[in-house]
Amino acid sequence: MTQTPIRLTVNGRIHDVTAAPQTPLLYVLRNDLELNGPKYGCGLGECGTCTVLIDGSAARSCVIPISGCAGRDIVTLEGLGTRDRPDPVQQAFIDEQAAQCGYCLNGMIMTTKALLAINPHPSEQEALAALRYNLCRCGTHVEILRAVMRASSQLAEAGD
Amino acid sequence: MASPLSNESARHSGSLVVARTLDTGASETFVRITADGSVSAYNGHVDLGTGIRTALGQIVAEELDVSFARVVVVLGDTAVAPNQGATIASETIQITAVPLRKAAAQARHFLIARAAERLELPVAELRIEDGLVRGHNRSVSYGELIGDETIRLELADDVVVKPVGDYAIVGQSVPRVDLPAKATGELTFVHDIRVPGMLHGRVVRPPYAGVDAGPFVGTSLIAVDESSVRDIPGLVAVVRIGDFVGVVAEREENAILAATQLKLSWKPTPTLPDLADVEKALRANPSAPRTLIDKGDVNSAIAAAAKPMQRTYVWPYQMHASIGPSCAVADFQHGNIRVWSGTQNPHLLRADLALLIERPESEIEVIRLEAAGCYGRNCADDVTADALLLSRAVGRPVRVQLTREQEHAWEPKGTAQLIDVNGGLNADGGIAGYDLATRYPSNAAPTLALLLTGRISPEPDVLQMGDRTAIPPYDYDHMRVVAHDMAPIVRASWFRGVSALPNTFAHESYIDELATEAGVDPIEYRLRYLKEQRAVDLVNAVAERAGWTPRPVRQDKDGEVVHGRGFAYALYVHSKFPGYGAAWSAWVADVAVNKTTGDVSVTRVVAGQDSGLMINPDGVRHQIHGNVIQSTSRALMEEVSFERGAVGAREWGAYPIIPFPDVPKIDVLMLPRPDQPPLGVGESASVPSAAAIANAIFDATGVRFREPPFTPERILKGLHGEAAVAPQALSAPAATPPSRTRQNSFAKRAGIFATMAALCTAAIGIGAALLPGRAIAPIARPDASVYSTATIARGQQLAALGNCAECHTTIGGTLNAGGRALETPFGVIYSTNITPDVETGIGAWSYPAFERAMRDGLHRDGRQLYPAFPYTHFARTSDADLQALYAYLMAQPSVRATAPANTLAFPFNLRPLLAGWNALFHQTREFKPDPAKSELWNRGAYLVESLGHCSACHSPRNSLGAEQRNAYLAGGFAEGWEAPPLTSLSHAPIAWSEDELYAYLRTGQSRFHGVAAGPMAPIVRDLAALPDQDIRAMAVYLNSFNDTAINTQTQDALAAKLESATQVTIASSTGARLYQGACAVCHEVGGLPLFGSRPSLALNSNLHSKAPDNLVQVILHGIAEPASSDLGYMPAFKDSMSASQVEELVTFLRKQFAPDKPAWTGVTETIARVRSSIH
Repeated sequence: MTQTPIRLTVNGRIHDVTAAPQTPLLYVLRNDLELNGPKYGCGLGECGTCTVLIDGSAARSCVIPISGCAGRDIVTLEGLGTRDRPDPVQQAFIDEQAAQCGYCLNGMIMTTKALLAINPHPSEQEALAALRYNLCRCGTHVEILRAVMRASSQLAEAGD
Repeated sequence: MASPLSNESARHSGSLVVARTLDTGASETFVRITADGSVSAYNGHVDLGTGIRTALGQIVAEELDVSFARVVVVLGDTAVAPNQGATIASETIQITAVPLRKAAAQARHFLIARAAERLELPVAELRIEDGLVRGHNRSVSYGELIGDETIRLELADDVVVKPVGDYAIVGQSVPRVDLPAKATGELTFVHDIRVPGMLHGRVVRPPYAGVDAGPFVGTSLIAVDESSVRDIPGLVAVVRIGDFVGVVAEREENAILAATQLKLSWKPTPTLPDLADVEKALRANPSAPRTLIDKGDVNSAIAAAAKPMQRTYVWPYQMHASIGPSCAVADFQHGNIRVWSGTQNPHLLRADLALLIERPESEIEVIRLEAAGCYGRNCADDVTADALLLSRAVGRPVRVQLTREQEHAWEPKGTAQLIDVNGGLNADGGIAGYDLATRYPSNAAPTLALLLTGRISPEPDVLQMGDRTAIPPYDYDHMRVVAHDMAPIVRASWFRGVSALPNTFAHESYIDELATEAGVDPIEYRLRYLKEQRAVDLVNAVAERAGWTPRPVRQDKDGEVVHGRGFAYALYVHSKFPGYGAAWSAWVADVAVNKTTGDVSVTRVVAGQDSGLMINPDGVRHQIHGNVIQSTSRALMEEVSFERGAVGAREWGAYPIIPFPDVPKIDVLMLPRPDQPPLGVGESASVPSAAAIANAIFDATGVRFREPPFTPERILKGLHGEAAVAPQALSAPAATPPSRTRQNSFAKRAGIFATMAALCTAAIGIGAALLPGRAIAPIARPDASVYSTATIARGQQLAALGNCAECHTTIGGTLNAGGRALETPFGVIYSTNITPDVETGIGAWSYPAFERAMRDGLHRDGRQLYPAFPYTHFARTSDADLQALYAYLMAQPSVRATAPANTLAFPFNLRPLLAGWNALFHQTREFKPDPAKSELWNRGAYLVESLGHCSACHSPRNSLGAEQRNAYLAGGFAEGWEAPPLTSLSHAPIAWSEDELYAYLRTGQSRFHGVAAGPMAPIVRDLAALPDQDIRAMAVYLNSFNDTAINTQTQDALAAKLESATQVTIASSTGARLYQGACAVCHEVGGLPLFGSRPSLALNSNLHSKAPDNLVQVILHGIAEPASSDLGYMPAFKDSMSASQVEELVTFLRKQFAPDKPAWTGVTETIARVRSSIH
């Protein structure tokens, strides 16, 4: 089978990926681009661990084939910031110690990023609703909610 | 934090280790300090997400007097870490940290003594700051004290450790060391390991999902058909050993494909115990009684009770439900075998692996990396063994990732448990006696590969695990506790709280029942029997914090939503009986119960804990939060479902866990006990959970619930009796549309063959009378350059309108080269090559030959074409358009490709018969505009009726398979999908309008109807080639069949009304839970926008249709190729949900989102049909 490379823009860099067009984005991000942020959790878009941003919206990369991503702007956890220069949302999650095992953390941070982009100052109820379909098994919900609210208030300060 | 290293010390190469010599002569290191001043601490336990890496670092830093930042904690790696057994029972801090602490203290004593010598000062005049020993303006660092020496200290038992009063690091909240890496995507998890040359593996598990005992285990696989995966690119191996099956491929997605596609034949699994009634199954499971305590005279005491009380408490099967399915990498090289694993017990796993592959343990290194939180025993060990078998088979490193479905099905479950309590009250309100029997069918869940390959016997071990906290914490005079030890029924092993959580559910529910019967406040009643002062202090502190008001008599509550408050207490006693206690814990839970819906909200929990000395108080607080939330989830909603004795729940819809909005407010009370030894905090706060919640529900409702989870169904049943929870009442059966059965046989696009038999008999006479078509002479391939670019471009649009490429191209094949199999009930037709190849395509076709084919359905050679090719519509195309289409087709690249021969059975293979059909149903006239209609309407009519051929699918067919002219666009079936009515007969709750038709055809989505899926998606994709005004024209024409005029405002208002009326707020059925877990993320109105569309189910035409086919199609097969990627994608659930789950879901969706429509009939059959069809 001949395959035409598919051009993906991930974290601002262009990658030509040779893989079957129906390959879920998640596997290309993890295996071809060696990114650790998005995680395999369910393969059904149910749990949110694989969340990335596509054109600014939260997207469940386990159910989106790379053919649907060509020409789009993809951002992963790595694209937000690094240990030395974390994104304010990443920093808020670190400050609030908002992880136990941390496997769901990628999805929580990326979903928060998407939420704050459209609603910079969510109420607690809005934040809870936005994270409704991101699953956490360790029970870190309290700290995660605090991290969302902290990130929101830091954005407010930064904006003032 | 750490002081800069001096250049001098950095040059030295010495080290100081504190180690223990084992009986075998081997040595285990606990602490290593190198000359550069860095400190490594080794512990055999692993961090399961609880933060012990941080806490252990604090302990070592404290005892060594170095900064926390200087300490690196190494956990679990079998090559360097001591063997301290499995990380279980919350004992890392309480037990396995003890030698580590002593080792650090011992190193400090040694170093300070050496510094005293070096500085010529007494120890008492020295102080240490971050590894720098100072006194009288002189100083020497640990590194300098070590220099180039290699120092080994044998770990001593009698080491003096620091007094608590001197602590500076322990007892302070320290941020977790692992979070920055996790929050920024650095390599952390075993899932992230990439070894050079690594391949990807997947396993295929047997059909006896989640069952690991019985003679069929390891002996059920009959055959593996390797040819079924031969076409998969980069497939390296298919591995089979007994019932173990795995595939290895170069790329992960191809390993996934191979595992899905691999054909296996299995022996039928023998009948397994029915787990629909857990109580019955546990009573029937063979057991051996073991008396844990028999105090006083229980029999006589109970016989003399004024009020005997016999109660039974039932705990359900539950899942660890790790968020990340287990993963491992193995690299099998002779003499050097390495595995990267998320195991909870590296040393035990190494022994299992050695047994599995018959190599000595010394050849195997288990490198432990973090994995998703596990809370007991998940599939981490299983997948490591799987990876090792696959790596051994291919001689290269292999990474194996289990699927969500495999992790759900095969993780050792937290077992169901049955607790009978016999006892009662004396006349004075005191407890007469307490006779408890507990059944806990669980063992250590042997690593699966050992069983599947037949390396170990599938006879289950009977372990003594049901005794944790089986003896109540109360000082009852007459008390007997018996554990009935038994083998597992399904694969089960320890899960947070082990048997202590269910046992405590019984103890704490029962004493609440006693207090109620005695008319005494439940806390006061407990305190009468609670003797330990720390327990009493905790109970009082929690009651005070919660503002507990004594409630000797339950107050009846009014209203639909009733509130209640419950208390429970536990000292989590774990490990081998009699075991020992971890932290003390007590809960006050507040609940709100909706008596109409049965919904229970836990609104607030005050969780108090006495953990002794807290190493990292924030860490303890987080553990309490985690335990409260997870155990609330377990009490309210968690229960594994089974189908024919095998695990049925394979994704999150079938096994929901608590979502953010349902998390209670949590108030944590941590008793300061710095003078007491540190206690395990990983599980204690879970233990009182279910009882506190059940007691609160009793307070709210006056009804005792003795079997979690407290789902709406169970609450309603408790409040109102069986009638309230009969399976969802179904509406009146649907009046089966008269054409349904017949239409169903039109399961394929080529379905007009459904009535070929009738056709044969009816039309053979006419057909036989007609002359067959004559051949039209072949020509040399026309020179496409004679056609203008504009003509060719126009032809391309027309080809798109006609959707030619959809049938004339194989999936992933060359455009228009034919060969696509069109399944019909009577055999397979293969589409032809319509590229201009002279021999195999239409290159030798003159325009007259092409036109005749399009208008009359005749091949150039005179053969009749099957009306799977919709020439009945194409005949209406104008000459100019047909010429443009011809020009376009002739201008394409020529591709040599011969379609396989059709495999139609007699008599359907007789083409001449079709001439008769044509005589009856085919009108070859061109489209004629209707002068009474607008130009736009006529344009639309032309597009729709000619090349667009909409009614080929959207009109019903008559008994001879021809479109019914009197039911134009009234709905039909194609390729197993319903093509819904486009007229006023539409089932959609909001009638179509011109704008919505336009939006749908242009974008593939109408907000009031849904997205294009199935065979409609490629049509919309093709229509993208047409200009907006053509799409508008089609919308105008199609809308003219719609009598209902509706304006935008009315549509919006109706949409909002329907959507708000059908919002899913309570999940009170399996179907509702499946919806919430699997569908709502993308379909619930008002959710966070995700990439793609958010089709509203309340408005979706398919939910309101007379037939469930389209709904079943999208659930099973998803939408992999939408009309546009902007719409997003829908996953297929066919491998994640069982047929009965899909039925529950479909039934729920119909009832919820089309409440005014009758329930569908024949859903079971539709699911079976769609499941078995080739998609």
